[in-house]
Amino acid sequence: MELLDRYLQAVRKYLPARRQDDIIAELRANMESQIEDKESELGRTLTQGEMEDLLRKMGSPVIVASRYQPQQYLIGPAIFPLYLYVLRVVVLWALIVYSIVIVVVLPLTSPDHSDIAGSLLHTPSILINVAAWVTLVFVALEFFMVRYPEKFAPFAGLTDNWNPSSLPPLEKVEVSGRKPRSFTQAVAEVVVGFLLMAWLLLIPRHPFLLMGPGVIVLRVAPYQLVPVWWKFYWWIVGLNALQLAWKTIDLARGQWQQPAPIRQIIFKAVGVIPIALLLSVPDHIYVVFKNPSADQLRYGHNLDVINNSVHLGFSVICAIVVVQVAWEIGHMVWHTYRRREEAAR
Amino acid sequence: MTVAENLFESLRLELRRGSLTLAVLAQLRQEHYGYTLRKDLAVRGLEIDESTLYPLLRRLETQGLLVSQWREEDKRNKRFYRLSPEGEQILARLLEEWQAINASINRIFEQPQS
Repeated sequence: MELLDRYLQAVRKYLPARRQDDIIAELRANMESQIEDKESELGRTLTQGEMEDLLRKMGSPVIVASRYQPQQYLIGPAIFPLYLYVLRVVVLWALIVYSIVIVVVLPLTSPDHSDIAGSLLHTPSILINVAAWVTLVFVALEFFMVRYPEKFAPFAGLTDNWNPSSLPPLEKVEVSGRKPRSFTQAVAEVVVGFLLMAWLLLIPRHPFLLMGPGVIVLRVAPYQLVPVWWKFYWWIVGLNALQLAWKTIDLARGQWQQPAPIRQIIFKAVGVIPIALLLSVPDHIYVVFKNPSADQLRYGHNLDVINNSVHLGFSVICAIVVVQVAWEIGHMVWHTYRRREEAAR
Repeated sequence: MTVAENLFESLRLELRRGSLTLAVLAQLRQEHYGYTLRKDLAVRGLEIDESTLYPLLRRLETQGLLVSQWREEDKRNKRFYRLSPEGEQILARLLEEWQAINASINRIFEQPQS
């Protein structure tokens, strides 16, 4: 019986103090009856091995004691789906707000871009903090809902009070066999979009980010860019901001799965505007001399080659984008026509 | 344990959980203490681990479905359980529900498959 005493002593340690004596007394009575039964069946006392088998079958002390604990959850199944939804939305918005701070506020207020890098590295800890707070709120909610169900009755019935008419409209049918975008992919696109935006906004102050070591050449070279490049730059920034805002809104509204193809075509088509702006520059002058009187004679020919090359390069890009937009419009029209034909059959 | 076995085991436990409660309540229309209750259920084909049955009795008592008392029997103090009046009502309703489910499942299995 020494082994049984040791077993019960081990179980006792994991039981709630208030009920220890009662539970152990009951367990002892049941187990002693079982042992007596077994011994009378065998006609002898149990061996050490048989006793060990019996206790092993009963279960480890921790497991046995845990079954006497009330069933409780940190966040129970009733509110867990709501918790997941709120967690996803709050973390996403925290990421967006924090990204805006890094991308817009910091570059304007801090001349040191190491602040921005530091802030980027802090992003995971900020998001973990936000997730921890949301979790804590739901743990508290679970705690109070279980203990004071009468006070939280309206909240407990949250899932019953909903209006079917407020359901989001049907999502669009898969376009040309493309897989719908996953939530992770959509979030990654928004995050990368914000990083790209940060990079774009930092370029005027830190041209190294665009040209790398080539920035030294730009400083010592006799050439400089004409002001139309600024217009081009702000067009690019504006288009990126618009696209990013659109993706963020899609994400917040839960409509990231199938971005409308027409929207992608519109963005590509509008993308032609800054290129056309460059192509419309009179006499195709994109680069001029810093000191024309001194450099014209020596580098005049090079300057013409550079300006013509830039014009030719952007003409080719413009042609490619126009063909691509035309192809995508044709593709979309063809698919719409096919779908209507199939629906009509 | 393979994934399929694991899944089966988890579904089996889920299926058994409610049935065990019903069986325990039904068996406790007569007074029992833990060990004899377990033996009686086993004789009727329902094996339950001690570590499942004894805490279940406590839980059902906390919920007001069972009443218990300590009493001496065979020179040993034992805790005897039986169904409370509230437990009797709940048992009757649960039994009705269980029989309805059982009948429905039988009908589903008996219908010809196309």
